[in-house]
Amino acid sequence: MDFAFLADTMGQLLAVTPLTIELWFLCILIGGILAVFIAWGRVSGVPVVSQLCAAYVFVFRGSPLLIQMFLLYYGVAQFAEVRHSFFWPVLRDNFSCAVLSLALCTGGYTAEIWRGGLQAVPAREIEAGRAIGMSGFTLFRRIIAPIALRQALPAYSTEIVLMMKSTSLASLVTVWEVTGVAQRIISHTYRTFEVFICAGLIYLVLNFLIIRALRAVEHYVSPHLRDRPRPLLPGAPPAHAASPIALPEVPR
Amino acid sequence: MIDFSLLGFGQGGWGAWLLAGAVMTLVVTLCALFIGAVVGALVAAAKLSKRRLWRVVGDTYTTIFRGVPELLIIYLIYFGGSGAIGAFGNLFGNKGLSPPAFLVGAVGVGLISASYQAEVFRGSFMAVAAGEIEAARALGMSRLLRFRRIIVPQVWRFSLPGLGNVWQLSLKDSALISVTGLAELMRQSQVAAGSTHLYFTFYVAGGVLYLVLTALSDRAFGVAERRVARSFRGSLGRG
Amino acid sequence: MTDSPALSVRGIHKAFAGLEVLKGISLDAHEGDVISILGASGSGKSTFLRCINMLEIPDAGEVTVAGETIAMKPKRGGGQEPANQKQVDRIRSELGMVFQNFNLWSHMTILQNLIEGPVHVLHRPKAECVAEAEALLEKVGIVDKRNAYPAHLSGGQQQRAAIARALAMQPKVMLFDEPTSALDPELVGEVLRVLRALAEEGRTMLVVTHEMGFARNVSNRVVFLHQGVVEADGTPDEVFADSKSERFRQFVSGLHA
Repeated sequence: MDFAFLADTMGQLLAVTPLTIELWFLCILIGGILAVFIAWGRVSGVPVVSQLCAAYVFVFRGSPLLIQMFLLYYGVAQFAEVRHSFFWPVLRDNFSCAVLSLALCTGGYTAEIWRGGLQAVPAREIEAGRAIGMSGFTLFRRIIAPIALRQALPAYSTEIVLMMKSTSLASLVTVWEVTGVAQRIISHTYRTFEVFICAGLIYLVLNFLIIRALRAVEHYVSPHLRDRPRPLLPGAPPAHAASPIALPEVPR
Repeated sequence: MIDFSLLGFGQGGWGAWLLAGAVMTLVVTLCALFIGAVVGALVAAAKLSKRRLWRVVGDTYTTIFRGVPELLIIYLIYFGGSGAIGAFGNLFGNKGLSPPAFLVGAVGVGLISASYQAEVFRGSFMAVAAGEIEAARALGMSRLLRFRRIIVPQVWRFSLPGLGNVWQLSLKDSALISVTGLAELMRQSQVAAGSTHLYFTFYVAGGVLYLVLTALSDRAFGVAERRVARSFRGSLGRG
Repeated sequence: MTDSPALSVRGIHKAFAGLEVLKGISLDAHEGDVISILGASGSGKSTFLRCINMLEIPDAGEVTVAGETIAMKPKRGGGQEPANQKQVDRIRSELGMVFQNFNLWSHMTILQNLIEGPVHVLHRPKAECVAEAEALLEKVGIVDKRNAYPAHLSGGQQQRAAIARALAMQPKVMLFDEPTSALDPELVGEVLRVLRALAEEGRTMLVVTHEMGFARNVSNRVVFLHQGVVEADGTPDEVFADSKSERFRQFVSGLHA
């Protein structure tokens, strides 16, 4: 074990870890908001809008992220109109282009997750809201959205963790994040295993931290699912239901 | 915007090129899934084991292969394999021996899919009614016979939806194999785009072909699931 | 008729997590005996039945089927385990078990369920097994369901299929673990009729049941278990009409309450 090499590699990789985190955070944020609109369009009931949104989801879930990214980075840049347009500064810069591509992709998956959450809201609870005189945006904001979000949380947690892995593709459009730097080190030194261990470790730790944070969020928003606090000796903690967060599951 | 003659099959047309890539994508994904099924079954068995050691081994496998980016794993096998095979080749005086890209791709995507397949198999196994296994024991079936006649058919039936998802996932992961140079669909699109500088055309074409592959796969699995569900379906009028 | 019993069980002890459920049960079943095993929940009657074909391993005691004793060897950490799994498998194939929840294999048709054991465990020729299976299905009254899947049948039909499956193995002794407990009341009758027919045929049967009518009228012996011990053992007349066991009288009156 060449500790000097490991330490040096780790140093280089940790230096670009913030970039990976930035990529991940921005694409989740933008993609999440985009997905709200797409999901809304899908359940809207207006035929053209609904079909367009369904088509969006189909395209972005049915094709590899890599080809979407290349299409955006190389393909769209081909056109003079685009180069002179408003969007050019975003598309020309490889970091923001990567973020945009990641966001569009996760937007498709997340839209399905939001839609699932909306459909899981029990009709009787919406009815109760209407019965006390709520409607429109208030009903959505106070009743529908909170319940839908809680229902969607496990699947969304999975998606968030998966996006962390997807940021590695940005390296293929020359964004020097962790995987890109790792590949560069490997191609110079051919010390594949050591570099893999360092880079892999960074991703595993990031995942671990994210999953922990998401479990805490889930725990915080679901007091109604936990066991009733038993009258115990003072100082004893109440029992808690097991967290429904699962490790990254299959569907993609 | 798109010159369709370039997508055709005639002189200067890249159609055949792309279709060959699509076929390669299917083939490499299929091989990957077979590898993944074998490894996945072993990992599932490990996770279901009574011995703690095996369970830890199984959990470690899934943690690594689901937590580390697929691209990194493919680099590991490609560059790592390169090193190992090169060293092996040197022993025999064959310099410059490198691992076949197909093998690297199939093993890489296969090992990744194995972690998902393991979860599917594990869930299916636990869903096989304990009573049915007991009836097999009560009849005097040996362990091997029970496994072959009762457990495997049931696990296979329950696994079908989950495996459909894994297939779709692996089909898309296979695009990453392009970094090894294998002539699958992503790579072919890349080469065609680079050669003609018509990036938009060929990445759209490639994307469309991927959509066709995923849509067809969806159909195929739907048919298979319906056929298998025939014995699940509730009673047709209780007597 | 041979003198040695079809089934002989001696000194069965079984504990779960420190709690002793069976405290030394012995039983002999001669050919043609129809023995009803009664008892409250938790009295250990199902556990006892499952110890006979080693689905549960008794901590102590031995089981002898048609003169052949299942060889046991001591287990590390106390208790015992079968010395020869092949012998256990073979003896299991000579005992037919019918479960409370039928336990038919859901991925096979009824006919396939019936021929599975004969073809793959007894290695008999398939055509012969199919013919016999159809005859058995006829006997229990569901031959028209031979190609249906278990999920398509009612509870009563599934249990009759399960009985036919056990019969297909040509067992020496049949073990019934609460065969009607999971059935809707109106379906219980059809299963009891099949049991009665089997009894009248001269089959050797051990039936764990709550059906008092069956115990009184069809069986020729009643065994009452209470807290892991045999409290009463005799003919139905002896046990029901003239029971010396206070607990048994309480049990019966409790059931009718």
